[in-house]
Amino acid sequence: MVINIKGSVSSETKNEMANENIIIETKDLNFYYTPDKAALIDVNIQIPEKKVTAFIGPSGCGKSTLLRNFNRMNDLIPDIKVEGEILIEGQNIYDPSVRLEDLRKKVGMVFQKSNPFPMSIWENVAFGPKVNGESNISNLEEIVEASLVQADLWREVKDRLTDSALDLSGGQQQRLCIARALANKPDIILMDEPASALDPISTGKIEETIDELRGKYTVVIVTHNMQQAARVSDYTAFMMVGELVEFNDTNTLFTKPDKELTEEYITGRFG
Amino acid sequence: MKQSYKDYFQKGDPYVLLTSLGLLLTFAMVVMLLAIILVKGLGIFWPEDLVKTELKNKKVYLGEFWADEKNISKDEAGTVTITKKEQYKIGNRDIYGLDFVWLKSDDVVSRLKPENATQFERWEYGNMYGTIKKVHVGDETISDSDAIMFQKANDALDKVDVMKDELKELQTELTDLLSPLNSIRREISLIKINKGYYSDLEKEQLAKLEQFEIDTAAKLKSEHERIQERINKTTERIESIYLIVETVDGAEKELQLSKVVSFFQPNKMNVIDKSIHYAARVWEFVAGEPRESNTEGGVFPAIFGTVMMVILMSIFVVPFGVMAAIYLNEYATQGPITRMIRLSVNNLAGVPSIVYGIFGLGFFIYIVGGSIDQLFFSDKLPEPTIGTGGILWASLTLALLTLPVVVVATEEGILAVPRANKEGALALGSTKWQMIRKIVLPNAMPGILTGLILAISRGAGEVAPLMITGVVKLAPAMPLDGTFPFFHLDRKFMHLGFHIYDVGFQSPNVEAAKPMVYSTALLLIILVVLLNLLAIFLRNRLRKKYKSSSF
Repeated sequence: MVINIKGSVSSETKNEMANENIIIETKDLNFYYTPDKAALIDVNIQIPEKKVTAFIGPSGCGKSTLLRNFNRMNDLIPDIKVEGEILIEGQNIYDPSVRLEDLRKKVGMVFQKSNPFPMSIWENVAFGPKVNGESNISNLEEIVEASLVQADLWREVKDRLTDSALDLSGGQQQRLCIARALANKPDIILMDEPASALDPISTGKIEETIDELRGKYTVVIVTHNMQQAARVSDYTAFMMVGELVEFNDTNTLFTKPDKELTEEYITGRFG
Repeated sequence: MKQSYKDYFQKGDPYVLLTSLGLLLTFAMVVMLLAIILVKGLGIFWPEDLVKTELKNKKVYLGEFWADEKNISKDEAGTVTITKKEQYKIGNRDIYGLDFVWLKSDDVVSRLKPENATQFERWEYGNMYGTIKKVHVGDETISDSDAIMFQKANDALDKVDVMKDELKELQTELTDLLSPLNSIRREISLIKINKGYYSDLEKEQLAKLEQFEIDTAAKLKSEHERIQERINKTTERIESIYLIVETVDGAEKELQLSKVVSFFQPNKMNVIDKSIHYAARVWEFVAGEPRESNTEGGVFPAIFGTVMMVILMSIFVVPFGVMAAIYLNEYATQGPITRMIRLSVNNLAGVPSIVYGIFGLGFFIYIVGGSIDQLFFSDKLPEPTIGTGGILWASLTLALLTLPVVVVATEEGILAVPRANKEGALALGSTKWQMIRKIVLPNAMPGILTGLILAISRGAGEVAPLMITGVVKLAPAMPLDGTFPFFHLDRKFMHLGFHIYDVGFQSPNVEAAKPMVYSTALLLIILVVLLNLLAIFLRNRLRKKYKSSSF
């Protein structure tokens, strides 16, 4: 299997991570959906700021679980148990003093299946700022436009902002969801297989959008598609059965993986 | 052969036939129900010709043909005799005592339709049938051709109606004039009530009030007399306008026009005249007040009471039901307790409605209303002010009755909201309440309105619980009118469902009331359909808005 990777490997990249600011850090994170079986086992990961980080691994390896812990979406599931710490900008997000709404405003999320609300396009994008207390119309107008521009959707929808968001195509809906997340001016954007339900052209557009976000936001993306991880991410984490197997800059991980397991996975010997 | 027989059953043709038969039966029943109610309910307003029948024994009757009957009897020898009978509505209850008469068809010599036969609808004693003999207006007496007298009588009736309005105004004026005097008298009686002795303070107060009463009465005296004078004069003038009506058997009777609602000569009318008259009578039925212990006139108060009760019920039940459903689904921890609550709510829908009525009586009227009386209206006790049946308590009782329907429908609506949308809202930093208000509630709105539709359908048709919580045969005043505070939720009210029961089974004149039962039933059906259509219209508009929210 040929892996398409950008650029060539240089010996410096291995140490690149040492120079990054770390924005998300987990310390011995254990996570249980049911008390007897851990979905995440002793995960220690440091995610660099304003970079695109991809999580790859076979189904059920815990990559989505880990992602959904970063904005505590897993809290919605009854009877879960979390051990260890998740630090975002140095603050443990499971600390009782953390307001869940503030965390989720700071850590935006785009879901696997696009989920626009049954409202107008404008209302969809303005939803986040509105629930977080922004009521000035001209401010909202500004935020909506800026977010749609960043999500590369403005050109397509600027004349029909009052139309229902449900009338958009699948790819447009997903980019709308990205714009919606951006409207909150988050530091981190979590993407849970954002292109898995889309056709190749729409997927390409989503990847372009992610590329645009690089450098401005910290993007954490879960993907099944290894080429996609290779194309869009700066760093890649490979996970298996709840454990973090290897985490490195994308080039190194795909060309010279440290672990044999990683190599076997990326060369398609299992998956 | 055997194979094809088996085939036949495997394909299920007989079952398809059975299911189609089931549908056909259902449809036929709906059509039959509507047809019977429509025909019987709408037919009554058509002005039937008046028939003058003469019998062998020289007896004559004038009236509307009502029904006929065939009796087949066999005597011991085996000869079959068929007796035909026909029924006429002959009216003139004050003269004959009965409105209806059965005649043997064999006895009838002739059936004529005299041109000048006139039907008088009266405020009391039902219809009168006869011919106009003389018209008296003041000192003037007119005795001319029938057409001229009919015209004159019509003019006189208009005049009487105007004068009656004047009289009503004068009486209101008088009441207003005397109201300060009445309130003084009320204060005096309040001090005197249930008392053997008075304190000095009270004696002083009494003396003051009594003096005040005398002064006020003196002040109002001249104005009072002036109005009374005018009332007397108008009454006199009204009484001076009357007809002399000759009944078919030749007796002459004086008929005050003030006691006549309307009169007409159906035998002279063509189809167009009759249609106009028909429309007027339908309008009177829908918009008029009932008379003759509800067997005649209109049912407007009942329509009004039904609609207002249903609206009040909706106002109570929808917020409550929706709140309960939201808590049950979104906030309550799902477990055995919520399961039990859900089960009991669902089962409440099956409790017989009379049980709710008893609960309404025991809880709302006696406990809640009684306590309010004790606290705020103790001066009027033992006579209850609000602790008695009224539209408020009836609506609350019905709201309770329909609560399970709304809760269940709302729950279904909430469950249909895509989980992805809820998560999306939470992921954007909205609180749970914001998520419910902005995502769940708008999306569940069609479900909520379905609940409302079901609640209206059930609530509008209930009679049993209303009978013990505030419905009456004849309400003296509407629950909504022009006097402050406009909404009189403590008042008793009339209801179409109860009206049907009352007119059909509690009326002194069942035969005359029969058509009224059908027309009222028809009206109740129309009303329920209209209320439902309104809610369905609302729901469809909302559905369109959220059309593809659930993929």
